[in-house]
Parts: sequence; C-alpha cells; structure tokens
Amino acid sequence: MTTTNRNTSLITLAFALVLWFMPSVRETLDFPVFFLLFGYSLFFWIAQASSWNTFTGFSGYFSFGQGAFFGAGVYSVAVLAVKRDWPLLFTFLVGGLVAAVIGLIIGVVVFRLRKLRGEIFALMTLAVAFVMASVARVSPAIDGGQGVPVNTVELPEFLGDFPTMIFRLGLIVATFAVITAQSVQRSRLGWGLFSIRDDEDVAETLGVPTFRFKITALLLTAFIAGISGAIHSLQIGYVTIEDVFSIRVPLFVILMSILGGTKHWMGPVVGAVVVVTLNDRLNRAGFQEISDLITGGLLILMIVAVKEGLYLRMRARPLRTAVGFTAGLVIGFALGALDESLITLVAYGLGIAVLAVMLPLSWFARSEPAVTDDVEEVASHG
Amino acid sequence: MSLMSQSIASGILIGGLYALMSLGMSLNWGVLKIINLAHFSFILLSAYVTYQLASVYGWDPFLAIIVTVPLFALGGMALQWAFERFRISEFESLLLTFGLFIIFESLATSVWSADFRRIDSAANPYASSSLTIGPISLSIPTLSAFVLAIGIAFGTRYLLEQTHFGRAVRALAHDREIAGAFGVNHRTVSMQLAGLAGAYAALAGVFIAMSSSLFPGIAVEWFGIVFSVVILGGLGSTMGTLLAGVIIGTVGAIATVVWGPSTAPLVVFLILIATLLFKPDGLLGAKGGI
Repeated sequence: MTTTNRNTSLITLAFALVLWFMPSVRETLDFPVFFLLFGYSLFFWIAQASSWNTFTGFSGYFSFGQGAFFGAGVYSVAVLAVKRDWPLLFTFLVGGLVAAVIGLIIGVVVFRLRKLRGEIFALMTLAVAFVMASVARVSPAIDGGQGVPVNTVELPEFLGDFPTMIFRLGLIVATFAVITAQSVQRSRLGWGLFSIRDDEDVAETLGVPTFRFKITALLLTAFIAGISGAIHSLQIGYVTIEDVFSIRVPLFVILMSILGGTKHWMGPVVGAVVVVTLNDRLNRAGFQEISDLITGGLLILMIVAVKEGLYLRMRARPLRTAVGFTAGLVIGFALGALDESLITLVAYGLGIAVLAVMLPLSWFARSEPAVTDDVEEVASHG
Repeated sequence: MSLMSQSIASGILIGGLYALMSLGMSLNWGVLKIINLAHFSFILLSAYVTYQLASVYGWDPFLAIIVTVPLFALGGMALQWAFERFRISEFESLLLTFGLFIIFESLATSVWSADFRRIDSAANPYASSSLTIGPISLSIPTLSAFVLAIGIAFGTRYLLEQTHFGRAVRALAHDREIAGAFGVNHRTVSMQLAGLAGAYAALAGVFIAMSSSLFPGIAVEWFGIVFSVVILGGLGSTMGTLLAGVIIGTVGAIATVVWGPSTAPLVVFLILIATLLFKPDGLLGAKGGI
C-alpha cells in the first residue's frame, strides 16, 4: 500500500495552485478578508508543525528547539530588513539560512555524543532557545530588550495588498514544508530516520549513516522553520523577545504533531488544521482562558488514549470520521453557526469528528479491525 | 569589593533555594524516570497558597507549610499513581506533564489573575528582615531556605543510604525488574518517593512566596535554573544537587555584578550546555549513584 508517492506531491501542488488564486477571486465570490488571514494562520502552523515533524516525528529525537529556529527567522528580518535596510524578500532566505546554521551547529555538536539521546536532547534544544533569547536581550544590535517594529518595513508592491501577500507567502512555505515532509517520508532518508527512531544502535550496525541523516533532517527542519518565522515577523508587526522566544511555538507544534500523529506527514497537517480552527473560534467567542485549558487537556488525552494520533485513527475509521463531521456540520448549522462565519461551521464539524474518533474503540468497534501499532508502521512506511 | 562579597553571599543563599526547588525534580527523574514538569506547577501553586493564607487569612507564612506540604505530597502521589496506571514512559511523561503544566498555569491565572502578587509586608515581616554579619546582610527567607535545603539534602541522603526505604529506592533506580524480583513493591515505593518530591516542591513554594513577587508566568522562568541544577548535580544525586544549586546561584550572582543582570541566565544556560556536553552524568559522577 503506497500512501505517499510522487502523485501525492503533485496533488498537493495542484491544491496549492488552486489556493493561490483565492485572493484573486475574493471579490467575485464575496468572502471577507478575514478568510485570507485565517488561511495564513493555517499555513504558518502547517509549515511549523510539518517542519518539526520532519526531524522529530520521523527520527524520534524530541526537539523543544522549534522556538530557536523560528526566532532566528523572525530576528533575521528584524535586524537585516528593519535596522540595515536589506531587501525584504532576501532577508526571508537569510532567515532560513541563519536557522539552518544554528541547526547545523546543534547537530554537529550534539549528535557526536551518544549520551545526548532522548530527553537529554530535548532539554538541550530547550536550552539553546533560552540562550538565544538571552543573547538577543543583551545585544543592542539584535534587540537589546526594546523590541523591533517590523511593521515599518516597506513591502514589495508586486505582491499585492497585505492580506494577499501574507496569504501567498504563507502558502508557498507551507506547500514547501509539506512536500518536503512527503519526499523525506518516501525516501531513503525517511526510512533511515524511521530506523533510527526504532533502534538507533541497530540502525547503525546495519549501515544506516545515522549522523548524516539526522543532520540532514535537522537542517531541513531549521531552514523551513526559519523562513516561516521570517515571514511571520510581518504578521507579528512589533517583535519582542518575550513573544518570539516564548514557549508558545514549541508547545503548539508539539501539540499539533502529537494530536495529528507523528508517523505520517499528514499528521501535523491535520493537527494544525484542528488546533488552529478550534483555537481561533474559541478565542473569537471569548473563551481565551479555557483555550489553554483545552490545549493542555488535549495533549494529555492524546498521550494517554490515542498514541497513534488523529490522522491514522481517522484513516482507520473513515465512516466514524465522516459521520462525526457531518453531524457536527448539522449541529453547527442548527445552532446558527453559519450566521457568524463559515469557519465556525467547519469548527463544529472538526470538533465533533475529533470527539467521534477519540471515543474508545470498544464503543462501536465490533466490526472494525483492531489497529495495532505494527500495522500503522507498515502503512505509514509504505 | 563589598558589593561583590555581598552578591556572592546572596548567590550562595539563593543557591540553597535552587537546590530545594530541584531536589524533587532530580529524585523523580533519576529514580522514577519521570520528567515531571508539573513539579514547577506544584512550586507555583504552593507559593500561591502561601500567599493566600498569609495575605488573606493573616497566617504567618512559615505556618503555610502545614497546609502545603501534605497537599502537594498527596498531589505528587496521585500523579505517580496515574503514571503507573497508564504506563507512561519517560518520554511521554515529559509531554504529559507539559500538558498539566499548562493547565495548572491557566488555573493559577484564573484564580489569582496574571498580575503580580506579593504578600503584604504586614503579613510577612520576614521579607524585609535580615541577618547582618559585618558588611554582609542575609535576608531571612533565603537564609532559612538555604538552611532547610542543607538539612533536607543531608536528611534525604540519610534516608536513601541508611533506611530500608532508601535501599528499596536505590534498587529501583538501578534495575526495576530485579528489584521487583527481590520483593521491592515498586508501586508503593514510587508513590512514597513521589510524595516526598511533592513535599519538597511545596517547601520551595513557601519560601518563594516569602521572598518574591508571584505571577503565573514565573514558573517558566524556573525551567532554565532548575534543569541546569538537576543536570549539573547529576540525576537523583542529593549532594550533587545541593552543590550544583550553590554553584549556579553563585555564578549567576557574579555574572550579575560583572556583566549586568540580563547576562545571568546566559551564563547559567552556558553552564547547562557545557555540562550536557562534557559531564552528562553530573558533578559527582555516575548516573544512579544516589
């Protein structure tokens, strides 16, 4: 069973191409500008979560360092485009490269040491983000603790107005991130990373170039996270160390990937769509306080009850997913969600679908085959 | 020069508090193989409970110990029970307690708001009082935390080395299955140890409430310090943790005087990274050598 081949990437590309023209047809179809900004938010988190998963999900090396790569991207724009007047589009690329260099340094130093596996590696990456925040805080050339206004930077005119521009930039990076994840998953690199996740010592004995593979994957992760962060600096407007290096970015990419499932490229995409949509609607409805509560609760629930993640669960139980989603749409429609926004309606659908697949198997599982971990492995590697 | 000696003295004392905050974390991680981020939440909540008892009900802050210690000892035991029940691995524990950490933080925010909270000076006479020795003055809350940390570190060491419970704990840390074969009930022992760790978190929280302002986001700021102390001290090592706390406290204080306050975290994290690279077993040697 091949679930990820070249056609998957072609379909992804075609899908992205359709989305590319969304801003152009906005006035004809008469949907609000907010949809574009919401779309960007989806693209941003899809890019971040997919990039994190390309290294961590596939190799099993748990990284809290996403904030470091993201921050490197944000501050590349803040320093080079704002303070030094470099051309904006060029600084995006530089942001990715700076993040990649940081990833390279971490990798070269850390992967040489056998002891730095598992949770010690996780803490190490957390420390790197903290160190970068401290450096940015004490050095006036980067930030100096004052924050940097990125919204003063001149935007290139050929990209259109701000919502159109940020939507399309986000779309490019998200597509790149997803196609990268797909390509890694079906390549030798992906197989190598999976073998590292299963048992690194055995993988090495069997001739998998573990060091090179880990470095390559980490570089990809860092580069994408950096570019995505660089673009996101425009969305933030006024960047500060507290916001950029907060625990929020690593927390959310971890949550999204674990929620969606880390063994398949589609996992982080599903996770990002669910979390962003529900979070956005909860905040809009004035439930900011409980949205953190739900975030934490979901993370716990996933680890205790749904270890393989939503995507593989949904694929194993398509009927339940479809029924849940439809029921959610109907309930949302009955409650008048459509009066507010199409997104609210979709949020109802997603919410109920997630609940439906999360419910314990035994409740309706009589006819469904029990899905063991091994089967999932085979399916996701195929 | 007197500024320097004063800061070093304060650094050593604050190092005692760091050790107190880190000891439970270190035991949880080294022996039970649980990376308990909820430990930070316990410290935070214990500090808030102390604040509540002292500011609102007019208790002496030291008295808060009789409420917080049993409360968070029970909390630690309950968590450990859940970890065993759901067979949580070391790795999953990090994620799961990350979820708990977020939940506790938002609970703290909803109860005590995101504003700075500090026990009124009327209810907390200790905050402003200090012991003066020559040119150096030592604040009472940090001094008591330091003394207590030393007492607890030696007490825990005695407990682990000389008692039946301690031998069971060390057997567990070494090899859970073999220990089980020799009649160590790992559930009971784990829960007792987790309770002990929770009690240490509660104590640390009481002293933090006495000496500084509280806000929910403060718990994240402890991550760097506590993890540095735990790693530098060596997982599960009581004496190592105490020593590491004092070293981190002192180095941070010196960095503050020499290069300014914002460089202190930088120096601490560099120590953490250097430890991970060159001495991953901690200051006092091998892992599990409690």
